[in-house]
Amino acid sequence: MNLSFFILSPAEIEALLLSAKVAIFCTLVICIPGVAVAWLLAKKSFIGKSLLDSIVHLPLVLPPVVPGFLLLLLLGNQGLIGKWLQVTFGINIAFTWIGAVIASAVMAFPLMVRSARLAINQVDAGLEAAAQSLGANPLRVFFTITLPLALPGIVTGLILAFSRSLGEFGATITFVGNIEGETRTLPLAIYTYTQVPGGDMAAMRLVILSMIIALGALMISDLLERKATKNIGRGLREQDDD
Amino acid sequence: MIDFNLQRTQGSFGLNVKSILDAPVIGLFGPSGAGKSTLLGMIAGLVKPHSGHLILDGEALFDSQRGVDVPIYQRRIGVVFQDSRLFPHLNIRDNLNYGFNLLAVKDRHFSFAQIVELLEIGHLLAQKPHQISGGEKQRVSLGRALLTSPRLLLLDEPLASLDVRLKYQILPFLRRVKDEINIPMVYVSHAIDEILYLTSQIVMIEQGKLLAQGHFHEIIHQDNLQNMAYSLGLENVISATIASHDKVYASTVLTQGNQTIVIPQVAAETGTQVTISIPASSVALSLSHLDNVTIQNQLQGLVTDIKQAGYRILVTVDIGESQIVAEVTTKALEALNIAVGSSVYCLLKAQAIRAHGFIPSGIVAS
Repeated sequence: MNLSFFILSPAEIEALLLSAKVAIFCTLVICIPGVAVAWLLAKKSFIGKSLLDSIVHLPLVLPPVVPGFLLLLLLGNQGLIGKWLQVTFGINIAFTWIGAVIASAVMAFPLMVRSARLAINQVDAGLEAAAQSLGANPLRVFFTITLPLALPGIVTGLILAFSRSLGEFGATITFVGNIEGETRTLPLAIYTYTQVPGGDMAAMRLVILSMIIALGALMISDLLERKATKNIGRGLREQDDD
Repeated sequence: MIDFNLQRTQGSFGLNVKSILDAPVIGLFGPSGAGKSTLLGMIAGLVKPHSGHLILDGEALFDSQRGVDVPIYQRRIGVVFQDSRLFPHLNIRDNLNYGFNLLAVKDRHFSFAQIVELLEIGHLLAQKPHQISGGEKQRVSLGRALLTSPRLLLLDEPLASLDVRLKYQILPFLRRVKDEINIPMVYVSHAIDEILYLTSQIVMIEQGKLLAQGHFHEIIHQDNLQNMAYSLGLENVISATIASHDKVYASTVLTQGNQTIVIPQVAAETGTQVTISIPASSVALSLSHLDNVTIQNQLQGLVTDIKQAGYRILVTVDIGESQIVAEVTTKALEALNIAVGSSVYCLLKAQAIRAHGFIPSGIVAS
């Protein structure tokens, strides 16, 4: 094995960049709705709460092919919404990178919500009440107290979602196929290489690359979380020790 | 002025309170679980009453019949919580400014500098809450509430989580707030000494009901408070005047009518009126003046009443302008042949006498 092993081919670079693009957009897309749903589930009680909770978590327990297939039925060119989008606006989602973003967003959403919800739940309601007694309305309390205190958990959720998106396979291949340069992300490229004779080397290269990216994401997550926690003070549950 | 009539049921616990509070500082006193904090929460808007009304200075904050329920953040009622509740992600300066910055300039009655100076927290401004002590946290919490120029300040057991020494370091600050800042306060505590340090206007609450309200000295002898007075060792509450201080023996001499009472030294000027108390169980009786004892307070009087309260025998002695209750045993009573009309001496150990409104001797406020 020589050094040339580590030089990526143009197709591999394309897969890498596409994966990054899909993962970044996926994270951006679920950021605000994720926090909003997490807040609803953590702080509010309303009719249909457990139903919403179940629906959000469904992609975690279903085989990824199922959400992919449902997306195809919904947003595909012949799908309920997809057809309307196609006819009215000329927008085509299926078999495009935007479709890949939607597929991984659906799969990553529950991870984001779980993490953010836990974090928001742990914010002491007494602090929020104190902020209200100082004249802050609920919206201000959310942005100045709840959100900053829950930030470490929200960041963790976003990084989990980013990583999930990088690794998304089943829903993506079902919904948007495996089109080189458009929807062939890293996992799909690895899968493709393992299916062709002599593709093992390329597959191995991408596997190593995936592992490096995953490790990097986890380390950055840890770093951000530690920084955010430090910013809040030595943990929130700490008791007075004087 | 707070005019309220509020009801709330929570499981088996029902709260039904009705009163008008109109004093600069009111102490809300009662045992744990009496409903003090719930009442305070209802005034602040943190706890929703099931029915009734709450009117602060003529403005209805809650009225179940008219459907009025002003949200917490519009009530302009400051709250100091037992657990200080400083925002952990903000430094002390930002904590203090949190409500202050939300307040229109014309509504600000105090400046930032004024409150910081009053509470002596200037050296803490750059710190984070976890870096400062429990006593400092409570001062910051108090300052944060004061800076919102509240119409009413509610203090919910603000010293309960501090040790005794720290407690008496914070109390003078609360007194300073009371003296220098004109905001009505409701002070909740299950420690009567804390309350009496700040005010003698008391509201007694027990099992969700208001038992009594008024000047401590007047209500403590009420019949329905006898059990509470007993459990607090407050059967004998007496007003007396400071006659002189004895620096050599670190004691203060009080006069009450033509009687003289010596107590451990208190920091107050001659002529000041003080309220003292001694538990009935700390009062002994003697038929004659004793010369060979360490007890200096021997108050002569006539027995006016002997009654049995459970296992206790309480002897009431008229000592001139007030009465002293002594708890004795049946055996002692029979041996000395004490009956109504007997002339006795009440023996009060100086160290067992509490002077309310003062930091107890032995606790050094540094």
